Amino acid sequence: MNHKVIGIRDLTASTYVLQLERNGVAFKAGQCISLGVKDHGLNREYSTYSGEHETDFEFLIKEVAGGTVSCALRCVRPGDEVTFSGPFGSFVLDAPQDLSRRYLFIGTGTGIAPFRSYVRSHPDIDWQILHGVRTLEERYDHQDYDPERYTACVSSETGGDYHGRVTTYLRENPVDPDTICYLCGNSAMLTEVFDILREQGVSGNGLFTEAFF
Amino acid sequence: MKIAISYPPIINERGQTAMVSQNRNVQFFVTPTYLLPVVHAQAATWLRDLGHDVLWDDGNAQVKSFDRWYADVLEWAPDMIVFESTTPVMKFYWNLTNRLKQDLPDCIAVMTGYHSMRKPEETMQESATDIVMRSNHIDFVLSKLVPYMTDHADWRSSCDLEGLHIRVNNGEVRNTGNFKQVEPLDRSPDVDRNLVGWKNYAYENGNFLQTPGTYATSVIRDCTFGKCTFCRYNGPDLTFSIRSVEKSLDEYQRLIEEEGVREIFDDSGVWYRGQEARQFAQGLIDRGLHKKGCYFGLNTRFAYLDEETIRIMGEANFRFILLGLEACDDETLQRLNKGYTVGDVARNLEWFTRYGMHPHLTVMVGYYWQTSEQLQGTVDTVRELMFKGLARTLQVTICTPIDYTPYHQECLDGDVLLTDDYDDFDMSEVIVKTPIPHEAYYKAVRSMYGVVFHPRFILRQLLFLLSFRKRDWQFLFSYGWRALRRVRNHIFNLTSAGSSKSPPKPGSVSPQPDPVGAAH
Repeated sequence: MNHKVIGIRDLTASTYVLQLERNGVAFKAGQCISLGVKDHGLNREYSTYSGEHETDFEFLIKEVAGGTVSCALRCVRPGDEVTFSGPFGSFVLDAPQDLSRRYLFIGTGTGIAPFRSYVRSHPDIDWQILHGVRTLEERYDHQDYDPERYTACVSSETGGDYHGRVTTYLRENPVDPDTICYLCGNSAMLTEVFDILREQGVSGNGLFTEAFF
Repeated sequence: MKIAISYPPIINERGQTAMVSQNRNVQFFVTPTYLLPVVHAQAATWLRDLGHDVLWDDGNAQVKSFDRWYADVLEWAPDMIVFESTTPVMKFYWNLTNRLKQDLPDCIAVMTGYHSMRKPEETMQESATDIVMRSNHIDFVLSKLVPYMTDHADWRSSCDLEGLHIRVNNGEVRNTGNFKQVEPLDRSPDVDRNLVGWKNYAYENGNFLQTPGTYATSVIRDCTFGKCTFCRYNGPDLTFSIRSVEKSLDEYQRLIEEEGVREIFDDSGVWYRGQEARQFAQGLIDRGLHKKGCYFGLNTRFAYLDEETIRIMGEANFRFILLGLEACDDETLQRLNKGYTVGDVARNLEWFTRYGMHPHLTVMVGYYWQTSEQLQGTVDTVRELMFKGLARTLQVTICTPIDYTPYHQECLDGDVLLTDDYDDFDMSEVIVKTPIPHEAYYKAVRSMYGVVFHPRFILRQLLFLLSFRKRDWQFLFSYGWRALRRVRNHIFNLTSAGSSKSPPKPGSVSPQPDPVGAAH
């Protein structure tokens, strides 16, 4: 299936948001889609960045050094078509209709993508986002979030909500064990955060992970 | 602690041996085929490193009869025995565990594997199993669990390691919750080749064009994609983890230079891609391992590896590339969540063949929705790919729902399963309601395997010789002979289908054919 490009919104020198026509495709917030440039014979999975009820699809993409698909997709223009397979995956909110739950979404870099999709799809849930980035400019679309609910942990620059890594933040600010935690990012971060949360008493049943690579 | 990691010989009524160690499915093989269960081998290595007395007990690879294997286990009398199970052999394992617990009541029986992982209560109910491990990180869990047991006499009631169902002394079962989904894979040791008797697996494996061959310690645990509905590596309880390129390269170097291995296959669900794939292939070249006469092979997906990566892989002496081509119609690929389209297939295969690799297709038939047109499309496309030399070998299997994968669950929810007897889930016949007679799928299997006898295929293989690549000559004269022998066995089996299984079923094509030229 091909979907038409609506536009590209540059966020940083290496990161952009790709907007595609929705074409009536249903998905659950946090699922991913395989995207590729037409006739290239390649694709990569990207988590949805937009909400379930929005008109278009959005994907938060970082150009990978030496990468093929992430770089090629940045060159598409409005009106071009990209290959589209999906949605796939089960990194979705377990019971978003249960408003008594408290969620903590922990993502690093573009790992924030599924969480933006969650909160845009389910604005009534009780959520907090902990976003680990290296620089201030990597706080992708941070203005979209309620500042009371969004904490940027910026490791290489000052001026964010917290100066340091998400792991340090979590050690200094223990999590209520009843919180349901969703983790998205690279495997090393997931492993470290998982261990910290377990030590703080969060149940393994309340921990969900999605590895980016 | 004395720990046996055990694979009992499971031989069916037709004399075929079950390989439960295969990474996605169980398969019954007629010809001897021994597959190293890599994760369990890492677990054995880790436990041995922790100072435990570990018995690597693969009755298949050690060519034991069941009775001999069982007698040996009783004689060794382990404190713990670890099994790996899957749907079609669940009943076997339940019975075996019950028998073993009578003969060795103090032995702790641990059930691992994807079926019991998803239905732990069932195994606890149906058998005397002490622990069901809901984790596929067997090595990580055992490396924590066993020391805990040795230090805590009350481990049944006190152990809170994630992902376990533990039988406590009063018969109650404790559930310690979801298992930890991500582990730093580099912490698990490389497989100790001597401990697992690697040479037992080095020769009888159709994946190897040269021997001795071996399976590398997988660079990926589970699958980078992890979305295909029929595959075990799918579900909210699974994610993937990755080994560092350098650590894997070190292992390859040791295998080649110290063990004299001549073909290495990585059975990760899906191998590296992108930067890691290029680094790994370039690393082989930089270390000069590409000139040591050893071929390399891996599992990958369509639409995953780009041409530049494939070019470097060709230079690095990669040969065997296993690709799932589950169907050749986009509707089926979409329903299976494959994430690629038929349009990607030929282009990707052209890249692999251009750089000298031998793509191997794993094809499936018998989906509960598969129409005659879809089936014929698969047959025609696969045959054409083989005729054009875009794929060198293939394996065709009947898609059988197992291990409560999403496809399995779909079959249950849609009430399309024709049996609920796990013994029938052995991939030997179609067990779902289909829009066309089952015989059509068996005929399709025969038609695709029959390609090796076709003059166009044979001519294409002869033309490959003009490249004067060693591997193409090897392929024709050794691998080709092996393929013909296997197809001959397969056709013999087809003609005797239905006469050997009790009770016979209409339209039976059993037994499951061996793949043409390869184990997967």
